[in-house]
Amino acid sequence: MTPFEIGIAALAVMVFLVYVGMYVPLALMVVSYAAVWMMKGSPILAGKLLALAASETISSYFFGVVPLFVLMGYVVSVTGMGRDAFEVANQMFRRFRGGLGIGTVGANAIFAAITGISIASAAVFTRIAVPEMVRHGYTKRFSVGVVAGSSVLGMLIPPSLLLILYALLTEQSVGDLFIAGVIPGLLLALIFGLGVYTMARFWPGFIGHNLSDGDEDLLSGRELFNKGFPIVALIVLVLGGIYAGWFTPIEAGAVGCLGSILIGLIRRSLTWKDFWSVLTDTGLVTAAVCFLIIAAQMYSRMLALSGAPGEFGSFVAEADIGFWGVVIAYIILVIVMGTILDSSSIMLILVPLMLPVIQPMNIDLIWFGIVTVLAVEIGLLTPPFGISVFVIKSALNDDTISLGDIFAGAAPFALMMLVVLVLILVFPSLATLPLGR
Amino acid sequence: MMTLLHRLQAVIDRATAALNVLGTVLIVALMILINADVIGRGVFLAPISGVPELVSMSIVAIVFLQVGQAFRMGRFTRTDALIDALRRRLPRVRAVLELIYCSAGFFIIAVLLQASYPLFVKAWDRDTFVGTVGDFIAPIWPVKLIVLIGCTALLLQLAMSAIRAAILVYTGSGGEQGDMEAGHDPV
Repeated sequence: MTPFEIGIAALAVMVFLVYVGMYVPLALMVVSYAAVWMMKGSPILAGKLLALAASETISSYFFGVVPLFVLMGYVVSVTGMGRDAFEVANQMFRRFRGGLGIGTVGANAIFAAITGISIASAAVFTRIAVPEMVRHGYTKRFSVGVVAGSSVLGMLIPPSLLLILYALLTEQSVGDLFIAGVIPGLLLALIFGLGVYTMARFWPGFIGHNLSDGDEDLLSGRELFNKGFPIVALIVLVLGGIYAGWFTPIEAGAVGCLGSILIGLIRRSLTWKDFWSVLTDTGLVTAAVCFLIIAAQMYSRMLALSGAPGEFGSFVAEADIGFWGVVIAYIILVIVMGTILDSSSIMLILVPLMLPVIQPMNIDLIWFGIVTVLAVEIGLLTPPFGISVFVIKSALNDDTISLGDIFAGAAPFALMMLVVLVLILVFPSLATLPLGR
Repeated sequence: MMTLLHRLQAVIDRATAALNVLGTVLIVALMILINADVIGRGVFLAPISGVPELVSMSIVAIVFLQVGQAFRMGRFTRTDALIDALRRRLPRVRAVLELIYCSAGFFIIAVLLQASYPLFVKAWDRDTFVGTVGDFIAPIWPVKLIVLIGCTALLLQLAMSAIRAAILVYTGSGGEQGDMEAGHDPV
């Protein structure tokens, strides 16, 4: 077998192993090791490749950002800032039909600006928003669907762990990607809100027939300030600090962490027990994500050795499907992968394969990053595998709502995301305009 | 036999949990260090030397300190559609698959451990460091050692999961007991 054939076979075996349920990082490592051994005829060399990838890949200042943004996301959720965002957003949208649904979207958009992981949003709003909506006559299916749908805002509105991962993979600036995510994120939130309003008017069978609004707990101006101010302060601190040049996006994770801990302590809403439990959880998430990154690095080094990405690139160039052909095929691939894998794995597997293909086409890699994140997140709302949906299911602890219900409820939101994705494909400046490109 | 296995599992769990705590403390240290640097630089015009070097070494340490526990707590990404379907209908087939996956994982982590050892020896013997002489230097052997420790912890957890799966294949029972769940149970 030529190295190219081995590379392609390795790809196929890897996809098969993932499908039959092998742990993704271990599958990536085993396949890479075997493939390099076959290509170079030396198990020692193959082992060396593993060891070097393990000690070098994440040994970079930029990876320090991963645990910090994860920790910040968890701290803001245990200190009750999610509930505050929900109450403030409800106050704003209570006059609209489907106001609680719109409020959930709005709260998610606000919350997304202080957290970088959609799992945190999904878990928080399942506990806060779903019971409230069900109490006011919304169907359970819609209630969980709107939470699942709007939790993806966390990945698009900065800070975002996925954008950071993409930046690391493609050597783009984290700050630029953060800026590029703002307009698409707000646009998505707007379309979600309009969608909820429209569905409430014209499709009450889905949302619920007798919606009451949550006017019994109207907040006074003072309460509104108390609940809204810490969140605004944190957003200003993190995003403002980055753009004012006080600190880098990497340092922003640490500053935001400290800020949210201080806010939690001042408001006496952060207990030692909660803090320790989110801290250990942060460690486990970091280890799982970074170990996956290491494994993906082994795999992409193996691919590079086989020359498969280059051959794949020239194959695509010769196939002459053009720019749109490549982009659309890529998006379909990402969405299909999204049905079985989590967001970081998809990115880590597909982006290294695609980079050599798209680089000669002069595609704006920042724009491409936003497209990738959106496509990945659509895949996450489609069955059978969707991490956000699983988190909601486990946070819900209610047997009357099945996984199928959550997927069905999230379907309209996946469609709306597709609309936004098309808009960004057609108008790339939606992502790149604030960068002056 | 079973009680011995349980005791062994408890010991290994305690070890990985301890590593987890160390890694967690390191995250807090990282946060404090970076904040000190930002405040020192912005307010007192006195940045701290070597923060980037320390951060890039710590992140490797954090990951390898926690990786064993992450596996034990079922945090490794996998597609569980097939596994879940089998758990209900054919628990024995599921156990066979689990045994294969954990054995393959054991093998590959053993390879990684073996290939990482020379990196540690080299760093130790030559006293390799990061940073600039005269400003800030730190030896890199501690990180290389932590990689070895982390791989060992993961190796032990994989071995225990493989043994549990093997027992399940042999007895064909106990598939629904929390303790037999590979990884997914809280300690």
